[in-house]
Amino acid sequence: MALSLLEEKLEAGEFVVTAEVGPPKGTDLTEMIHNIDLLKDWVDAINVTDHQSSVMRFPSLGGCLLVKERGGEPILQVTCRDRNRLALQADLLFAYTRGIRNVLCLTGDSVEVGDHRGAKPVFDLDSVQLLRGIKEMEEGHDMGGNPLKGAPQFYLGASVHVEADEMEPQLMKFEKKVMAGARFFQTQGIFRVESLRRFMPYASQFGVKVLAGIIVISSARMARYMNEKVPGITVPNEIIEELSGTEKGKALQKGIEIAARTIRTIKEEGLCSGVHIMAIGNEKVVPELIEAAGLNGRAR
Amino acid sequence: MRTKVTAYQDRTLIPSCQAACPLHMRIREYVDLIAQGRIMEALKVIREDNPFPSICAHVCTHPCEEACRRGNVDKPVAIRALKRFAVEFGGDRMVEIEAETRRKEKVAVVGSGPAGMACAYYLRRLGYPVTIFEAHSEPGGMLRVGIPRYRLPREIVQREFDRLIRMGVELRLSTRVVSLDLLFQMGYKAIFVTIGAHQGLRLGIEGEEGPGVVDGATFLREVNLGFRPSLGEKVGVVGGGNVAIDAARTALRLGAKEVRVLYRRGPEEMPASEAEVHQAKEEGVQFDYLVAPLRIERERNKLKVICIRMKLGEPDSSGRRRPVPIEGSEFPLMLDTLIVAIGQAPQLPEDFRLRIGKGATIHVDPVSLATNRPGVFAGGDAVTGPATVVEALAVGKRAAFRIDDYLNHRYPVPEKEVRQVVGDLLPETIAMIRKISRVDPPYLPPEVRVKEFIPVEMVYSWDEAIKEARRCLKCGAGAEIFSRDRCASCLTCLRVCPYHVPRLNGTGEVEIPADQCQACGICVAQCPAKVIILRKPQDRRQIEEELNHLARYGPSKPMIVGFCCQYGLYGTGVLSGLYREKKAGVYIIPVACVGKVEAEHLLEAFSLGAEGVFVAGCGDQCSREDTALWLGRRIEKVRESLGEMGLEPERIKLFMPGEGRDLLVDLRDFSQKVAGLYLASLVRQEVKHDSCPTEAFGRDPTHDRPL
Amino acid sequence: MIVAQQKPLEEILRMIDPYERVMILGCGTCMTVCGAGGEREVAFLQKALEIAGRRQEEKHTFIPYTLKRQCDPEFLDLLTDRIEDVDAILTLGCGIGVQALAERFPDLPILPGVDTSFLGMAREWGVWDERCAACGHCLLGETAGICPITRCAKGILNGPCAGPKGGKCEVDGERDCAWVLIYRRLERLGQLDKMRRFYPPRNFERPKRILRRT
Repeated sequence: MALSLLEEKLEAGEFVVTAEVGPPKGTDLTEMIHNIDLLKDWVDAINVTDHQSSVMRFPSLGGCLLVKERGGEPILQVTCRDRNRLALQADLLFAYTRGIRNVLCLTGDSVEVGDHRGAKPVFDLDSVQLLRGIKEMEEGHDMGGNPLKGAPQFYLGASVHVEADEMEPQLMKFEKKVMAGARFFQTQGIFRVESLRRFMPYASQFGVKVLAGIIVISSARMARYMNEKVPGITVPNEIIEELSGTEKGKALQKGIEIAARTIRTIKEEGLCSGVHIMAIGNEKVVPELIEAAGLNGRAR
Repeated sequence: MRTKVTAYQDRTLIPSCQAACPLHMRIREYVDLIAQGRIMEALKVIREDNPFPSICAHVCTHPCEEACRRGNVDKPVAIRALKRFAVEFGGDRMVEIEAETRRKEKVAVVGSGPAGMACAYYLRRLGYPVTIFEAHSEPGGMLRVGIPRYRLPREIVQREFDRLIRMGVELRLSTRVVSLDLLFQMGYKAIFVTIGAHQGLRLGIEGEEGPGVVDGATFLREVNLGFRPSLGEKVGVVGGGNVAIDAARTALRLGAKEVRVLYRRGPEEMPASEAEVHQAKEEGVQFDYLVAPLRIERERNKLKVICIRMKLGEPDSSGRRRPVPIEGSEFPLMLDTLIVAIGQAPQLPEDFRLRIGKGATIHVDPVSLATNRPGVFAGGDAVTGPATVVEALAVGKRAAFRIDDYLNHRYPVPEKEVRQVVGDLLPETIAMIRKISRVDPPYLPPEVRVKEFIPVEMVYSWDEAIKEARRCLKCGAGAEIFSRDRCASCLTCLRVCPYHVPRLNGTGEVEIPADQCQACGICVAQCPAKVIILRKPQDRRQIEEELNHLARYGPSKPMIVGFCCQYGLYGTGVLSGLYREKKAGVYIIPVACVGKVEAEHLLEAFSLGAEGVFVAGCGDQCSREDTALWLGRRIEKVRESLGEMGLEPERIKLFMPGEGRDLLVDLRDFSQKVAGLYLASLVRQEVKHDSCPTEAFGRDPTHDRPL
Repeated sequence: MIVAQQKPLEEILRMIDPYERVMILGCGTCMTVCGAGGEREVAFLQKALEIAGRRQEEKHTFIPYTLKRQCDPEFLDLLTDRIEDVDAILTLGCGIGVQALAERFPDLPILPGVDTSFLGMAREWGVWDERCAACGHCLLGETAGICPITRCAKGILNGPCAGPKGGKCEVDGERDCAWVLIYRRLERLGQLDKMRRFYPPRNFERPKRILRRT
């Protein structure tokens, strides 16, 4: 029996669409709630990011509870940068008791790229060790080997980078994550469908579900910024040129167009199990994108 | 913490030039002084080691240059020409004529050639009454009657004898000594026989006796004494030594139209100096190699010299390949005069009763220079056969001390040199040394020279001399790690050396091979443990002493202190307009290569009250780029430190002239800038403290001295 | 080598402010090698402090000295005669030296003149890089001699993360991604299977005292 709605849909072979919301830096949750409300009828599950880019924010755990409250399907993102193994296990015990089942295990961006540069980076575990650790918890004992009074069960996911400069080490990492228990993957932003075409035959050996990450770029400047400052994302030159060639004020539209194009191609070729849309601050355009991509909205 | 020993101890190796010089002159030292523009000091060093440098300056065969390691890089340093520059620059200054008679024993010197001159000089300095006996009417031996005037002007020799006379040496000319017993009877207690080798050797061929054939040494003597023998138009000279070349060039000057030198071996085997041969060729002398005369016939007042061609066979006892006549290759040569210059031997009166060795030379004990007769010593060409002037000077000097030993009943102990001689440069090091062409002294053009007996070679100009002197590699005066214990093996010296000289030896310790070190001083200034020192004590002490001098005797507020390269700037006069004391408030500290200026020295200048400090290197004349690079880094470090104290970065500057920059203009701008900063800070201080400016700027008023 | 950097002059001036006779103590081992506190640095610092001190009208007297090491009691014994009139020791030794001095001379304020930064080595003159984290559980045999703890910005054992671009770490474009380096070298050694293994979480326990028996 599936642990979560997400697992059910993925296992059923549907073309799944997920998206992410970023929590606020503060206690004012208005915008986040608004975004959750907007997205929950359009996508199958919503990721809540966890101090994305090492910027301190309202926690993913809190955000997932909100998603659940508002009737959506949450995916909890857990990074290893900020908490040691005790805290991580504790958070997961709590998440399970509150009905959260989808967990995306990430190592996390380094402290230096964020806004608390002098903070102590924890990295007590990495994503692989976290996946394994959760597996051990599912078997009824914590990472110290001690028996648990009540074990959690999760639908575990991880990330994978399919457009890296050096692919071999990334593939080795991917395999390790699968061996450690990851069942679904959300990739880093894809800009060239060719990289997905090359990756999928390899990935499908392992029987895991892959959601292609789609980023909506709103301007050439944003693209360049991401290339320079954001780990895991490399926007190719042809896209930057396409964006800079547009009229003033129409760049966001172009970004949506490019993203929609990519999604359509992926769906038509049946390359993978779905897409994960990262609108990064532009959550409001997600419905438009989904329509433009020819995926009719999922009214729930 | 430096112990007294290392502060003053000469830890240099003997450079190959000094080792090759029979007088062991401190060539590295005087060439370096010339390079710094300190000519009079160079001359002092020269005169300390050589009593008659003016003679060597003209005619020395410079074994030093043959041994000069610069020759492995490009061409040897023109040491002889530099010596001449110093001697002519100094003129009569630095000449020692002080001598008093402190001994009773009279010493006779038979022969007034260079050996005799040197022996007389040193004996006189030791306090002995000396008499030189000379058979000819003019003193000087081969210097006077052998070497032509265009190589060694007569006045130079005469001046030296005037000096010897002023020192109290008795000179008896036109007095041929025929009996040593007579000298002893006259009261002389010791005799130095140095009669030279003036008897020309004979070819031993048919027709040699008779008109038209003349002995080379005799020929030169006659010309030097003022005669002008008529030679006719075609002259041949047999021989390959300097006498033969001298004879050939003299013949040209006497009007011969065609002069040929006949030598039985090839050009490589010729013993004459290359420079002489080259000049002779320029003047038009022809050289017939692998030719020897067989017999001489006379036809109508002309000589018909039958010559035969030679080829080179096996080496003989001298190591040179023996010439072997080629059968049937005879050919005639029509000449007016044939000069035979194949060597000379001493003409020893039988009555001397001295034991003879090879080639009719006098046999002496190599250590004591004593002959078989007690009290009779010998040296020079009379002992060695024809040799060089400098060898004669050296033996004359030694003889003086051996005679002194004898007269004091002391056993002569050969001097032991403790210092090692520097070894060879490795190809790897040679590859890294910047090539600089040799500056040869200017010569009169050949057409002008052959007309008369005027001196052929002219003397360097100031710039030429300094440029040439700077090519010296300062062999053996480099850096060494003097405290093995405090060396942390951090490998800094290894990494910063522009020549890759320091290396790890077999036991993993860092060492700086003295043979390869180019004495740039960079590792000395960069070593974090301060355990590397320069071997030459003057190099070690220079900057510290200058700073001490500034501290004690300098102005109480040297506004600007400048560390200036002695070689390029100060020496060649660009900065010599700025004097030692404050001229427009600039106090110059001359440094022999600013690469040695350490960051602490720069700080010290500020500590002594300077408002601005600059370092002026020699710019594009520097033989390596790294000096400027490292100085720049050290200055940056000082700038940072000053910045942390609130002192402006403009207060310290590096000047590397070149690319058309005018250093004096730059300095003026710098001075103005610093003065402005000083005034600004005064204003700020006055507002803040209301105190005496001197105190506020770090000079304890009790240090100030009246100027 | 222990590698350190000298503290800014300002900070040192503030530290020595209350003291009149200050010994500047250098170290002849690591601090000489990394150029932070050897004999030359002691001399330079003394001069700089003298100039700075006078500008601020402070009266300090500096006593420079360098010990071969500061981290052994026998070396510190050499100081007993020299510190009679000393009010404080400004040491250019590493953190170990500072503490050794403080323990040995409990009545004397010991001031650190350098910031001890890492265990590292020189790539070339003037460039020192961190190499060892002194983690107490060396696994360099598994990672082809490249330490993921010091050279990976996140210190992870199952690398790489998704960060590297062009083989460079996401943190600092100049820094190589350690895991890319490890991958390449393991490939060269024919030992890539080492990278495929799962490495369990680190054991952060390590000894604070080590005893030798012989």
